[in-house]
Amino acid sequence: MKQTRQIAILYKVIFVCLTVVPVMAGLIYALLYSFGIIGIMNNGFTGKYWIAVLLSDMFWVSLGYSLYIALVSITISLVFALSISLFIKKRNITISYLFYIPLCFPAVVMAFYSFQLWSKSGWISRIIYQIGGIKEISSFPDLTNDTLGFSIVFTSVLMIVPFFTILFSNLYHSEKLHELKKVAQNLGASSFQILIKITIPVLLKRSWFTICLFIIFVMSSYEIPLLLGKQNPQMISVLTMQKLQRFNLNDIPQAYTIASLYVMITIFVLTLLSIGGIKKRFITKRRAYA
Amino acid sequence: MLKKVYISLGVSVVLFPLFLLLILSFGKQWSYPHIIPKEFSLVHWISVFQLNSTLPITILKSLVISLSVATIVTAVSFFSAKHVSYSVHRKKWLFLAYIPYVCSPVIFAATLQFYFTYTDLSGTMLGIIIAQLFITYPFGVIIFSNFWNDNIKSIEQLSTTLGSSPVQTFQKVVFPLSKSVLLLCFFQVFLISWFEYGLTTLIGVGKVKTLTISVFQYIQEANLFLAALASCLLVIPPMLLLFINKRFVFTNQQIG
Repeated sequence: MKQTRQIAILYKVIFVCLTVVPVMAGLIYALLYSFGIIGIMNNGFTGKYWIAVLLSDMFWVSLGYSLYIALVSITISLVFALSISLFIKKRNITISYLFYIPLCFPAVVMAFYSFQLWSKSGWISRIIYQIGGIKEISSFPDLTNDTLGFSIVFTSVLMIVPFFTILFSNLYHSEKLHELKKVAQNLGASSFQILIKITIPVLLKRSWFTICLFIIFVMSSYEIPLLLGKQNPQMISVLTMQKLQRFNLNDIPQAYTIASLYVMITIFVLTLLSIGGIKKRFITKRRAYA
Repeated sequence: MLKKVYISLGVSVVLFPLFLLLILSFGKQWSYPHIIPKEFSLVHWISVFQLNSTLPITILKSLVISLSVATIVTAVSFFSAKHVSYSVHRKKWLFLAYIPYVCSPVIFAATLQFYFTYTDLSGTMLGIIIAQLFITYPFGVIIFSNFWNDNIKSIEQLSTTLGSSPVQTFQKVVFPLSKSVLLLCFFQVFLISWFEYGLTTLIGVGKVKTLTISVFQYIQEANLFLAALASCLLVIPPMLLLFINKRFVFTNQQIG
């Protein structure tokens, strides 16, 4: 019994060392650097880097741009994933195989593929040229490294749609939506009503936490905007890395300020999500008891 | 009829990236406005199998890193997840696991870079393996937290009540039940490690070159044929894992 408890403590210590300690150590270092307490160019405590970051447009524009890319990518992906999963409905081994294939592509390869597809000298431009749609290469619009982030969104959608299609297809069966639909039909609901009032709400409600996690994942993406993004505006990870790797040493404390802010925002959002989850479970339990 | 058209469209969208990358990996010259390269050559693919080429070493390094990370994480997080899941504060532990899992790996690596430089782990394979453990271990715990549920706990208790030792319970009861989730975790962690770029670049400081870093380097050098080849090499192992997973694990699960 004593040995079992000791083993449990050992594994919890390993857990803390591999999850809590790195996050805390990293955050403490970034905070100390951003407040001028440590670092090559720093002479003592100062809040000037925080003021500079918080008052500059650069950070907020970057954060807003990351959120815009994430929301647009997730919305488009959800529309496609819902349509495909509802179109397939029945489990088909070959089709399920098919949706696993894009998951084998890393972000860097997908970004490279998108570049070869959408750049001015890319595959789409060549096809349009061959069919007479454009007369010269410069007539093709800027679809990579553009302000709207077209190719970033396209790449993100390519990577997210298969995941959500698999998730929704599994949920469709685990939530027994087929049976629910039959009950609704017997009670006189139309196909459209079933779709709007039962199928989509159930699927979205059950995958809400995953959707929120994916918004954070897309906001944090690095390789895709690094290859396909513009110098201005930049997504948050790219901005942090550019500030960190610049030759100007004065930019490093600002990079750590942005990194600290981003980690704290992530923890804050996760806390909100987990509180929301607990509250929802509490309400569900209370309803069950009532 | 319409369903067949949609399915064909879906198949093309899914398979076209692989097709384009394969075509480019065999290409030699691809001037505008040709739809496919003008000349084809096996020279890039032959270089993969030549010992004086850097690509075989890069592939080997990537494999060593990914296999090490996947093995360590699967073994350690399996047992950690048990104690986390059976804990009274399960939700709080899992919340802590979600933080490094959700954080941007490159920003996370930026905040940790100092410690790796200080301990001389920066620019070493060991350093990269340790850094990747920080993002993959929590993921492993999250995967296994669903496995260690009340049902498994009851089965374990039943086995102990019937007289088996903890080792026997693990060997004869828990391990056979956990085979598929162990494989799932191994595959997923292998993929995260295999695909990792930002964190590996920062901790590796350019000294440890993995296949993902090579793809990026070739793209930056505007060597699109080698970039396409490295991309194909990056995609092949996950596809093999997918095949094994679907062919054996999935089939066994269905039979079970």
